[in-house]
Amino acid sequence: MLGPEGPHVTVEGFDGPLDLLLELVEEKKLDILTVRLGELADAYLARIRALDALPADEVSAFLALASRLVLLKARSLLPSLIPLAETDEGESEEDLRARLLEYAVVRERAGALGDRLRSGERGFHREGGTPELPPRGGEVLALAAAWSKVLALASRPREEGVVAPGERYSVEERTAEIEAIVAEHAQVTFTELLSTEPTLGWAVVTFIALLDLYRRSVIDLEQSELFADILIRRKQAA
Amino acid sequence: MRSGLANAVESVLFVAEKPVSRAELARVVGATPKQVETALTELAASYQGTGLRLAHDGDDWQLVTAPEHAAHVAAYLGADRLRVSPASLETLAIIAYRQPVTRADVESIRGVNCDQTIYTLMQRRLIEERGRREAPGRPILYGTTWEFLECFGLSSLDDLPRALTPEGAIPAIGERDAVGDGSA
Repeated sequence: MLGPEGPHVTVEGFDGPLDLLLELVEEKKLDILTVRLGELADAYLARIRALDALPADEVSAFLALASRLVLLKARSLLPSLIPLAETDEGESEEDLRARLLEYAVVRERAGALGDRLRSGERGFHREGGTPELPPRGGEVLALAAAWSKVLALASRPREEGVVAPGERYSVEERTAEIEAIVAEHAQVTFTELLSTEPTLGWAVVTFIALLDLYRRSVIDLEQSELFADILIRRKQAA
Repeated sequence: MRSGLANAVESVLFVAEKPVSRAELARVVGATPKQVETALTELAASYQGTGLRLAHDGDDWQLVTAPEHAAHVAAYLGADRLRVSPASLETLAIIAYRQPVTRADVESIRGVNCDQTIYTLMQRRLIEERGRREAPGRPILYGTTWEFLECFGLSSLDDLPRALTPEGAIPAIGERDAVGDGSA
């Protein structure tokens, strides 16, 4: 009785045959639980006759219910028909009543939902994506420590402020020096090698010297984390 | 005073732009799902009389604005009022109260073809597919969405307006279908 496709058409303001039947029950102020549905057949048919031309799908749905109502009316008028009717028609008056009751509940709930919608009282959630955060959470103490380091660096003597000819720094000499230090102390940090007031040239020469020593397997280098002090260790003779 | 766990759950839900499952909440705050459930109950109660509500669909949770202040939020967002036809509302009501249901379930109750209303509700994301019923033809099952809860200002499906006729007074669709199938 239901068409496969096509837009839903509201017939004379009724959303389907059950809606029309329910409307009749309410118009006549009848109780769904006790009304003899067959008695509504005439009123229902009168409404259908009054309808204008309808899409076939819609008409068939209305007519299917009309035939059911007429059958119910016939049964009540001619009780002897009941056994015959029950064999080919599955839906009894009680079945139809149950459907009508169920539909009445749905219509009531749809009305309640519609009221909520019209009141405009709805919820909203937070829109927008989660912001891109730096990989690590900000640590106030780390920021303070970094700032202290910057201040310390800034207070150090600049290259141009120090009288130091370029020849003073020789990678070979420095390598020999570090080799001697490591031979004596077993381990030393990069900061210690730079001494208290390193210039950029001094730091570069020291670093290159370390790389050279590492290449020659004289020392081992170790750094516990990013930007931590580099630990220089004498390599144990194999 | 709220518990530390309730506050932790709140802070996670605050940054989440989509619903968060209870299991996920438990994982990130380092608590058991049971503890999180208690914290969520506590949190929901604490929003009484504020501009926020704790909403949930099944086991997924989200912070939403209170329905009472919808007009203000809508003014800020420039959101349009949703309009739904009476026919679509009937279909939506059946799906909301009886989910998950098939198109045939809806049509058997309304007594009319419901293709169009289901299509419209899908388009507006008020309903969504919820798998298929293990029955001949494996028909699609439909259920309501987060958008549905939000649009109707519901904190959860438990908040659906109660009808005068209690649910138990009429046989559920599934039961009736089962009886029908058995006798056929």
